[in-house]
Amino acid sequence: MRHKRISWAQFLSLPALMLYGMFFVYPLLRGIGMSVTDWDGMGEATFVGLQNFIDFFHDARAMHDIKTTLIFALGSAVLLNVVGLCYALLMNSDFRGKSIARVVIYLPAIISPLIMGYIWFFLLQPGRGFLHYAFAQLGMTDIIGSWMSSYPSALLVLVLVNVWQFSGMTMIIYLAGLQSIPSEISEAALIDGASNWQRFWRVSVPMLMPAIRINVVTNIIGSLSVFDVIMSLTEGGPGYATESLSIYIMRMCYGSRTGYSTAVAMILFFIILIPVLVSMRFTRQKS
Amino acid sequence: MKENKWGKALRVLMILIICAACLIPFYVLLVLSLNAPSRVFYEGNIFMPNFHWQNFIDAWNKSRIGTAMLNSAIITAGTLIVTIVTGGLAGYAIARHSTRYNKFVFGLLIGCMMIPGIINTVPLYILMRQINAIDTLWGMICVCSTLAMPSAVFIYATFIRALPREMDEAAALDGCSPFATFWRVIFPMIKPATASFVILNGFGIWNNYAQAVFFLQSRAKQNIPQALSVFFQQFAGAKWHLMAATAVIAIIPVVIVFLVFQKQFIKGLSDGALKG
Amino acid sequence: MKKWIAMLLLSLMLVSTLAGCTPAATTPATEAPAAAEATEQAAATEAPAQDVNLSFFTGKVETIDLLDEIIAAYNAQSNGITVEQEYQADASNIIKIKFASDAVPDVMTTYEQEFVDQGKYLPLNDMSQWWDRLIPSMKESCTDLASGNQYRVCTNMTMAGFFYNKQMFADLGITPATTWEGFVANLEAIKAAYPDVDPWFIFGEAWHLGHLIEFFPQGYIKAKYGATAAKQAFLSNDSSILQWGSPDGAMATFAKNLVDLQQKGLINADVLTATSDNCIDAFVTGKAAMFSNGMWCLSGILEKNPDMADNIGFAPYPAMMADGVPVVLVAEDSGYSIYVDSPNKDAAVDFLTYLFSAENMKKYSEALGSPSAFTDVTADWAPASVVSGVSDAVKSATNIGFTNEKPAGFSGDDAGRLVQDLLAGTYTPEEFALAYEAAWNAGF
Repeated sequence: MRHKRISWAQFLSLPALMLYGMFFVYPLLRGIGMSVTDWDGMGEATFVGLQNFIDFFHDARAMHDIKTTLIFALGSAVLLNVVGLCYALLMNSDFRGKSIARVVIYLPAIISPLIMGYIWFFLLQPGRGFLHYAFAQLGMTDIIGSWMSSYPSALLVLVLVNVWQFSGMTMIIYLAGLQSIPSEISEAALIDGASNWQRFWRVSVPMLMPAIRINVVTNIIGSLSVFDVIMSLTEGGPGYATESLSIYIMRMCYGSRTGYSTAVAMILFFIILIPVLVSMRFTRQKS
Repeated sequence: MKENKWGKALRVLMILIICAACLIPFYVLLVLSLNAPSRVFYEGNIFMPNFHWQNFIDAWNKSRIGTAMLNSAIITAGTLIVTIVTGGLAGYAIARHSTRYNKFVFGLLIGCMMIPGIINTVPLYILMRQINAIDTLWGMICVCSTLAMPSAVFIYATFIRALPREMDEAAALDGCSPFATFWRVIFPMIKPATASFVILNGFGIWNNYAQAVFFLQSRAKQNIPQALSVFFQQFAGAKWHLMAATAVIAIIPVVIVFLVFQKQFIKGLSDGALKG
Repeated sequence: MKKWIAMLLLSLMLVSTLAGCTPAATTPATEAPAAAEATEQAAATEAPAQDVNLSFFTGKVETIDLLDEIIAAYNAQSNGITVEQEYQADASNIIKIKFASDAVPDVMTTYEQEFVDQGKYLPLNDMSQWWDRLIPSMKESCTDLASGNQYRVCTNMTMAGFFYNKQMFADLGITPATTWEGFVANLEAIKAAYPDVDPWFIFGEAWHLGHLIEFFPQGYIKAKYGATAAKQAFLSNDSSILQWGSPDGAMATFAKNLVDLQQKGLINADVLTATSDNCIDAFVTGKAAMFSNGMWCLSGILEKNPDMADNIGFAPYPAMMADGVPVVLVAEDSGYSIYVDSPNKDAAVDFLTYLFSAENMKKYSEALGSPSAFTDVTADWAPASVVSGVSDAVKSATNIGFTNEKPAGFSGDDAGRLVQDLLAGTYTPEEFALAYEAAWNAGF
């Protein structure tokens, strides 16, 4: 009786699998096949073997895009976690207006990237943006430089805007983790004479592991496949300087190189997979 | 806890600075949306708008944002319902029956999160056309559901694992089927999981643009980002006051939903705890 | 929250009741009725032979509202044809997905050389009811070189050149230049007299920088060899004519001149971050003396500052090369094509005939802000002073068209991004010319 019940109860995951299979996996399997062809979006596709993958590693623009994507992801995944955790530590106490402050910090994460892009461009435009005129009225000119016109500074602006927009999200998860730490534990540590710093490392961090795991993994995936923030602020420019791999894939797909773009998407998959597996290993919980 | 006066003052000050940094862009948007059409924005005190409320009426009338909001609301609600039901069940099965089949389902869902969606576009478009789902809200709900599915399963599986198994067994002794056990016993226990799923994914669905561009074509079926992008194109630059007013109108319902539910969301997140 | 959860539960209950309480069937059960319903609807609308749903795809934002109006009037005739307009901001990309998925609209405004080569458009050669009314040179522009067929009807023409501030030029006693030396001298005169004015305002949007390539270096080739020979050279990638990478060629000269102006401060310093809106703002407030653009920017200028109408000058592009001539763009605009495998070809022709009526085309021309390509349409597409200035400029210089024969994998925007790199200092002019050549050949 019991055995029989379990055997079918495991298939409660079937509806999700069917929905997902139909609208994601099935198109994906058909799509992946294109990665070994030269399909241009129309007409016949010819099998080209691994040529697309070889071409990718010989394309200077693609190699630059890998570099940009990795720098962006490293900067934003690290900063999002550090900033999010700092926010959570600041907010994890009782003060008046606590709930309002949380809403305010989370607010940037819930607005459409389209609107966000318009606003930030309007704010930061050198010589014409809101901040330029605001500082000018305060008697400070030339504070807002042409950051978005050259490579390293444009990338930095993109990382900071991304951190600005999404650190509320990491904060919420860290806050949930912090609040789940029973107060007896940290008080016990206090009586033992542990300093604040020791208490944080020895007590809070291990208890926060599930939150760290969720935040690190989702931010690695999100930052390595970054698209919206870059598209709305610099469109990958100037030139192709701040183009990410996701934008490259999109442009190749629309530029009559559908087969090739699929191959690059496969490569991006592995670029994301490796750090995700590594970080999952490092944040594994000891039961 | 014991914190001296200076420490507390410093904490409050830092929180104020962070909040200000988060609010500046919204303040700018609000100022723009309240400026009179004739105003050159950098003339006079740029921090003080003209309070030209007519902009909101004009923006509402010219932008078709009303229809778009209704469509976005239907898509978001539909997607959340579908993913909560199917994803919740899947999370339950994965948490309780760690069979090879369920491990496969879990691995597949998490693995697919890392694949850029664009390579699906052409085959998915062909499929959607075959089942007459193009330019329908239910078709869009199906597509958005698959996007949110891995996250739903991940969250539900994590939360359900933290619940004691005795509850399932007690329910089974009462004669509940596994479905009823999930539905009547487990699901009410994991409201926090539902709350975190809604907050982490709901706004993304509301703001979806990448899929809407392909699967919602007519102006009657457009969602909010599409309506905004058309409106922004039509009035590019010439009418900043109207563009900003439309953007504010589009943000208001999101902020209201968040304000109404934020206590429950945050409470939900912390009670359920990430014990997984 | 409780209420909300209750609502959610209620809907979930409904779903699970529908599914007969067997969870495994939940998914198909929720989808199946909807799918079935949709199929029924489709069957119901397609069954009577005379009822046709005509899909119309457009990327022209200026005409959305007018077309909604015209389509509503057309649909109200109840001739069994119902037209539905789909607008997409990113039309030229989205149409590729539609072609790839075999879900092509019946009528569309997007026209790509690669689809012409693949035979995706219906030849319109027999539509004498349209061609007889069209200006002959516009019919010529609508003709595909390789096949000699017409695959689109262009309802309007557009011009591009330098817009300049007439008052400022008159005050300084200068006139638009025909040679590059004269052009630079004008910019320097403006800079000397008005230090806070940008003599030539260029904005960093990729399409605009891509246009500059089509007007200057490619304009030189189009004017020197004539439209047809130039098109043939583009299509066959005839490097003896194109010479993109040559250090003395048109491309390298263009890059050198642009960088030279940038270094002398004769173009705006924020060229990479400025937008077309900034350009119009600067022009109407007297902060920019001249800029390059097409007629499509006129409505924006007049909306910002209606008093500007008598102050807008229009001039051809000066020659950059020693053996070059001034050119002005006179091109086909707003083309309509029919999908070759459309099941509704007759309906598409019927709708386009209605759209092309003189009465509708007058409104269309005024909404678009460019002159009609039909001989029987007289529209007030711009203030009279602008119209006369434009027609003088068109008569005074060699007329060139857009470069529609670019390789499929190297769009105008791609070229524009290379110019961004040049202006950001990534390339020297010689490297830019070589990079352009490499990208062109790779796209070929």
